[in-house]
Amino acid sequence: MFNRLTVFIVAIVLLAVFLQAQTPAQRATGIPRMSDGKPNFTGLWQALGTAYWDIRDHSAQNGPFYQLGSTGAMPAGQGIVDGGEIPYKPEAAAKQKENLKNRLLLDPEVKCFMPGVPRGTYMPFPFQIIQSQRDIAIAYEYATANRVINMGKPKEAAVDTWMGNSNGRWEGETLVVDVTGLNGESWFDRSGNFMSENVHIIERYAFADADHLNYEATIEDNTIFTRPWKISLPLYRRKEKNAQLNEFKCVEFAEELLYGHLRKK
Amino acid sequence: MRYRILVLVTLLMVILTSATTLLAQAKPAKAYTQPKTPWGDPDLQGTWTSDDCINTPMQRPPNLGDKVYLTDEELTQREAAIARQAENDKQQFVAANAQANVNPPGHWGERARRPCRQTSLVIDPPNGRTPDLTPEAQARVIPRGAGNNPASWEDFSFYIRCITRGVAGSILPVIYGNGTQILQGPGYVLLLQEMVHEARVIPLDKRPHAGANVRSYMGDSRGHWEGNTLVVETTNFLDGKTGIGLNGGGTPTSEALKLTERFTRVDPSTINYEMTVDDPKVYTKPWKVGFPISQEPGYQNFEYACHEGNNAMFNSLSGARAAEKAAEKK
Repeated sequence: MFNRLTVFIVAIVLLAVFLQAQTPAQRATGIPRMSDGKPNFTGLWQALGTAYWDIRDHSAQNGPFYQLGSTGAMPAGQGIVDGGEIPYKPEAAAKQKENLKNRLLLDPEVKCFMPGVPRGTYMPFPFQIIQSQRDIAIAYEYATANRVINMGKPKEAAVDTWMGNSNGRWEGETLVVDVTGLNGESWFDRSGNFMSENVHIIERYAFADADHLNYEATIEDNTIFTRPWKISLPLYRRKEKNAQLNEFKCVEFAEELLYGHLRKK
Repeated sequence: MRYRILVLVTLLMVILTSATTLLAQAKPAKAYTQPKTPWGDPDLQGTWTSDDCINTPMQRPPNLGDKVYLTDEELTQREAAIARQAENDKQQFVAANAQANVNPPGHWGERARRPCRQTSLVIDPPNGRTPDLTPEAQARVIPRGAGNNPASWEDFSFYIRCITRGVAGSILPVIYGNGTQILQGPGYVLLLQEMVHEARVIPLDKRPHAGANVRSYMGDSRGHWEGNTLVVETTNFLDGKTGIGLNGGGTPTSEALKLTERFTRVDPSTINYEMTVDDPKVYTKPWKVGFPISQEPGYQNFEYACHEGNNAMFNSLSGARAAEKAAEKK
């Protein structure tokens, strides 16, 4: 009797050790989770760095308005493009240079247009993720832009839009978001880096620890680029006790620029 | 003796049974069990539209007095009108040589699917009329719409400028874009409204409001649950922007405005929505609007890139300047 019980207990312990060894080692501990065990991304997040000026490596330089002095200058920064270079086709590379030259006329951010994907992620504004038991929403402070990531059966884009059509899925602990239906009007940054309406973006959100996410986006657009390329950067949880998504309805700040020439003299 | 008691008991049982049956019939509907999210909050998620009250006026016509609801007969008439309109919309859409006019075709707009029973969107005071304005509020300027020879964009409403329709204007029923998508996460409710792509993030953790100097068009919202009702209190509004009217029209509210909204799901496809407007600088007393919002098969929000495509602003302003130039030449 005693022997049988011992054998049984030993078998159970061995089984437990075996199962433990089978559990993927990368399952993060200490991160917020939903009741079904999925990582819970709900929170206020923001990128640091200066990718919003240029997603490639860049030196500090003059801003466009000397009146702003050093407050209007562009700080130096490390790029977020894997490998450093954006693989433009020759004519697209020329267009990027034109965009940069005419930035104040052409940059959608200057006009307070919606940021698109992925630009909204690393602008100098926070964004709020709210995760339900199924779908996941992102509300960006800039321009009150927002999007809902459909976590159900994938849906095709009904029309092309600024913020695109997002279908999400879980790959283990990583939220993978497939973005299509973008209208191709968005830029990547203030340096004229751009995409076309044929762009397809695959984003990956994963916890590094409770307060940091690793964000990646793979960009496929064979009308502009010679191959798919990737950006990656960390996202930081806003930790101030009273941090919250504020309102930045910037239309008002762009009206004089857009319509000023049509004001009654 | 025993026989008599038996008769009495039987009679009593019959009476009790009939009374219970009658009582059951008097009840309006079977009690609704509110679904909960996995983390225990009442689940209000889905896309809800205020379409059904499209034909209901904000204020009750004075001749209706305290008549809150339409009669059954009036309701039947409205139902018939909705059916006729639906048929008419279909004709307009399919006819090969359909008459074009300046109004958008029927399928551009949204329609009531069933009539709203109430006679006004204002539900308090009992006469269905907004209370008197304060003397200070009477001096407040309401931006006029297009067609008035605009000197600048500032002559247009915040809605025409694609800035916002405000909290009330974003849910009051208008010709289209009446959808509110509710999405909930642990500790938050998010309201996404189609027109001018509003996103209201409502924390439920009882944190205090933002500091008094952080003000905005949509205000600072805090939510809590009272039973199954979501109660949202919003303060910190900017002064003199949108009003409590369709598309944010009407007398602009003040920085003293406090809105209290109540969302109560009464059946799988209906939320009773109520908003108390308290702005002592503008209205002589608090008042309430209220109406049902409903979930409809196939109804969803789309991206409303308003400012990005606001050619109307360019065209109105350049048209006004061109008219002035032409007048100078005469």
